[in-house]
Amino acid sequence: MSHLPELTPDERSRYEWQLWVRDFGEEGQRRLKQATVLVSRIGGVGGSAAMQLAAAGIGRLILAHAGNVRLNDLNRQLLMTTDWIGKPRVESASRRLHDLNPHVEIETIAENINDSNAAELVSRCDVAVSAAPLFAERLLMNREAVRQRKPLVDSAMYELEGRLTTIIPGRSPCLSCLYPEPPPNWKREFPVFSAVSSAVGSLAAMEVIKLIAGIGEPLTGRLLTFDLRDMSFRTVPIARQLDCPVCSALSP
Amino acid sequence: MKLRVQYMAQLRAVVGRAEEEMELSEGGSLADLLNQLATTYGAASSHFVTEARQARPSLLIVVNDSAVSARDAATTVLHTNDVVTLLPPIAGG
Repeated sequence: MSHLPELTPDERSRYEWQLWVRDFGEEGQRRLKQATVLVSRIGGVGGSAAMQLAAAGIGRLILAHAGNVRLNDLNRQLLMTTDWIGKPRVESASRRLHDLNPHVEIETIAENINDSNAAELVSRCDVAVSAAPLFAERLLMNREAVRQRKPLVDSAMYELEGRLTTIIPGRSPCLSCLYPEPPPNWKREFPVFSAVSSAVGSLAAMEVIKLIAGIGEPLTGRLLTFDLRDMSFRTVPIARQLDCPVCSALSP
Repeated sequence: MKLRVQYMAQLRAVVGRAEEEMELSEGGSLADLLNQLATTYGAASSHFVTEARQARPSLLIVVNDSAVSARDAATTVLHTNDVVTLLPPIAGG
């Protein structure tokens, strides 16, 4: 524990109520403070995940998202503000998160995950969250996380439904095990309430906190699906594909 | 034999319902069911099967409480009253 950064009195006070969480305590908080988390896209899902992670006191957040704030982002992208329409999304997000918790170091990348930046961004994080609206980006993030053996929380939603799984490369199925082909029917624009995307993002953040602090049972080898239309939640075991071109060469 | 098929996410809009009862020949497989659905919902057949009429690899399938890989669809025999849940890929973020 000595290698972990100390908490300042201000931090101890800020996080007081979560320090009461069983098995978490001061060591868990210091683990969060030491950690770096990469969030791919900070829209409805990833933005909410980033907000929860900032509130919890992750040491450093790397936020990757291209483009400027648009009016029709604002029903769900809770890190974006009306006064920032037409200006970079990552700037709005950085301001909001700094206002929430100035102890968190925020690094912004005004690009989406792509072939040029994926390896470098993943190399600098301890855990990654995937929340892009395109499978190409998600599958790229998955490939890079598996290659570097970094834990990845893949979080997605559609309308009133959410899905989540935590990927520990070599130990649990990766995204390519689930989706061995780029899904041909997915459309980039999708129906969304913030209440749903925020729920998925919050669950993803909890997975990240659990992984870093070493508490609870991560959602590995399982797919959580939920439908808020009738409030049904379901967890289904999922298996690695022995011939997965991305992860099958890795042993646990 | 009678089965129950549940549709999730965008499949609900594609087929116009959240679930339905289907009649499948005794001893029919999951692949048979998907081909039957592809025929029933012709314009949306690519959600269920590939052009070669194989189970769509990116379709997540749960039979009762077990996930079944699309590659195993042909060897997965279904039984009366099975509940087959079809989860199309989603990436809303």
